[in-house]
Amino acid sequence: MSEQIQLDEYRSEMRKWLAAHLPRRSADVPPGEQHDLEAEAVAEGRLHQREVYEAGYLGITVPTEYGGQGLSGAHERIWLAESSGYEVPLPAGVASIVTMRVVLPTILHNGTEQQKREWVPLILSGENIWAQLLSEPDAGSDLAGIRTQARRDGDTWILKGTKLWSSGAVHADYGICLARTDPGVPKHRGLTWFRVPLKDDRVTVRPVRQLNGSEEFCEEFLDDVVLGDDTVIGAVNDGWKVANSLLMFERGAGHVDLAPSTVQSRDEQSADLVALAGAAGMPDRDNRRRANMTSIVEQRTKDWVHETLNRRITAKLMRGAVHPAAASLVKLSIGTRGPERAIAGLEIAGRGAIAWPTSEPSSGDLADQYFYGRQYAIAGGSNEIQRNIISERVLGLPREPSYDNDKPFKDVIRDARKWISD
Amino acid sequence: MEDRDLTDEQRLLHQATVDFIADKLPMAAVRKLRDDPVGYDRNWLCGTAQLGWYSMLIAEEHGGGDVTGHPIVDLAVVADSVGRHLQPGPFIPMNVVGAALSEYGTATQRKELLPRIAAGELVATWAPLAGDGSWDAGAGLSVTRDEDEIVLRGSRGFVVEAPSADHLLAVGTLDGVPVQVVVATSSVGVDVETLACFDLSRRVGRITFDDVRLPAPDLLGDGSGETTEQLERQLQIAVVLACAETIGALDEMFSMTVEYSKTRVAFGRPIGSFQALKHAMADQLLHLEGCKAAVAEATRIVDERGSDAAEIVSMTAAYVDEYASRIAQQCLQVHGGIGFTWEHDLHLYMRRIRTTTSLWCERAWHYERLCEVCAP
Repeated sequence: MSEQIQLDEYRSEMRKWLAAHLPRRSADVPPGEQHDLEAEAVAEGRLHQREVYEAGYLGITVPTEYGGQGLSGAHERIWLAESSGYEVPLPAGVASIVTMRVVLPTILHNGTEQQKREWVPLILSGENIWAQLLSEPDAGSDLAGIRTQARRDGDTWILKGTKLWSSGAVHADYGICLARTDPGVPKHRGLTWFRVPLKDDRVTVRPVRQLNGSEEFCEEFLDDVVLGDDTVIGAVNDGWKVANSLLMFERGAGHVDLAPSTVQSRDEQSADLVALAGAAGMPDRDNRRRANMTSIVEQRTKDWVHETLNRRITAKLMRGAVHPAAASLVKLSIGTRGPERAIAGLEIAGRGAIAWPTSEPSSGDLADQYFYGRQYAIAGGSNEIQRNIISERVLGLPREPSYDNDKPFKDVIRDARKWISD
Repeated sequence: MEDRDLTDEQRLLHQATVDFIADKLPMAAVRKLRDDPVGYDRNWLCGTAQLGWYSMLIAEEHGGGDVTGHPIVDLAVVADSVGRHLQPGPFIPMNVVGAALSEYGTATQRKELLPRIAAGELVATWAPLAGDGSWDAGAGLSVTRDEDEIVLRGSRGFVVEAPSADHLLAVGTLDGVPVQVVVATSSVGVDVETLACFDLSRRVGRITFDDVRLPAPDLLGDGSGETTEQLERQLQIAVVLACAETIGALDEMFSMTVEYSKTRVAFGRPIGSFQALKHAMADQLLHLEGCKAAVAEATRIVDERGSDAAEIVSMTAAYVDEYASRIAQQCLQVHGGIGFTWEHDLHLYMRRIRTTTSLWCERAWHYERLCEVCAP
């Protein structure tokens, strides 16, 4: 049987299965944006994920020895295209996306044979959900500057510190955690990754209330958590290498919808702005109507260019036709589009976006975007970090002088304090 | 970032194009055309014609033919080089006229004009705009019937390479509906005024029609076609070629800028190591890549005659119009004082980019079109 016929058959089986087992996606809820999840919903979601896994549609390209299907990228692309109209279970929302698209490939690339055999099937089946324990109160964009320490004690590690901005960690089972294992060397050389059990007695996970009132992110207090060598991911003190591969997955893979753009998808995408213009009394006032119409088509245009750019760069990344750092262009595009679009929405809505009848609580969502539109400008490496990466690695521009790359990390903070007081 | 989306045939076409340019009309020679009244050499034009610069949108039986079966995509490869190396001449309007005659012309019009356009022996240009530069669907050029003749009165503006053109395809109005007319510039009553042009490698004209009498069969397709649809198709072709040309020029200009910032030293450092400039260049790369992605998509959709081509083309034009000028300005900013000299090539690129986008990509106009296309 030719490859094409096999793929066609695979697709038609998949269609049947999807139609029989998954609900259609409603247009107004973007995938993965379920905030403030209840524990029961998460538990139920895990069972749904297990169904999809058992049908063979999770881990399509993951080797069979790690619980996957061992199929080609073409099979995976068929799944992405066919499933895009359905509610694919993401039991813990963003944490599930992180688990599947960031943690899973990171483990597959960097884990030991035993780790891959033990951990990957549990991830695919929904039994284990992971969160990223990366940022801290005092280190975010400068990830290599984290302060959480893992100290050697006999044949175990003792982990101590605070992590912040972990999506959905309250619902997660494990954290992939970056810690400093040697403060006596420059910052990039003394880092190691661990798998941390989040249900451990010495781990406290607390939701963080964000500026918009929702509680999607968490902070974790790691209070002398005891970890064995089998929890180390990658080599000890060589964690920066793993970090680079993890961040690449986070930047490139996390947010891109590869479904083709159509008149209908563009209409759906700009429907929110059209509705706002309607609510702002557009038909009654001609100048306002004109300004709003122009603003809507401008946003429609820029949303489309953004999508088209992401599809193009993602395709090139997949074929290896560009430097992997080009993933930062996708991230910067998201990080600049969001805030710009949020402001356009506010302008279209006019005063209706700042005060509304209490019987219409949804009017507040728009003003919310004023904050939330900036999420991707900051999270996962700020726009400024992406611009550094693009200019240095894609354009090959020379690096700026560094104040911390060449001295032991323990001296870095002391010297920086002196700089301020001088 | 290098684009590796070309097919092997397109790669050969691209290589032949850049080899020809390097041999016949490199930048140093382009500079010298500034004082040339015609703006290009007719022998050079025939050489470019042999490379297929004017024949890709013409059917094979009339001396045309493309490379891969996707003529617009193939031609966009050439357009990139035209922009990248600031090649002069009637590249965009001649292709539009070739496509229009090939698709909508009468048998006589095709037979008489197309083989000579494909060979570069005849220069043809398109005249769709009013004297004030607006897209008037022919309102400013009245066409009336007088027995078996037609009479043209009025004007057409911003006609690219009109001063050297042998033939025009002019958009006018007959009985209240738009028509296109094939006009020899040597016809009695046709006056071409050469305007001063911001782009030193281009000649733009304003044409006055003073009771120009032509045989009625000079109406494109004998006046029987749906001119509004024809104009839409021709506009789409002009816009994607203009955008592809602009991308070539922008890409070249941006590369020059990045390289310059690596070698120019100030305050003891290459200026490209300063974060203020690095971030500005990263932003420009993002916009440039956005332009490239949009243009590649628009080119494909116009080639396939997709049902949403009008929308995609106008979105692409508006985006390229906005960011081409921004990127160009930022390139000048990174160059600083040296970029302000006449001898530097930078201003030649800026002139070409602004002229091409003003002609075909005007953002406000395309947004207005989109308001109609996408009206809720």
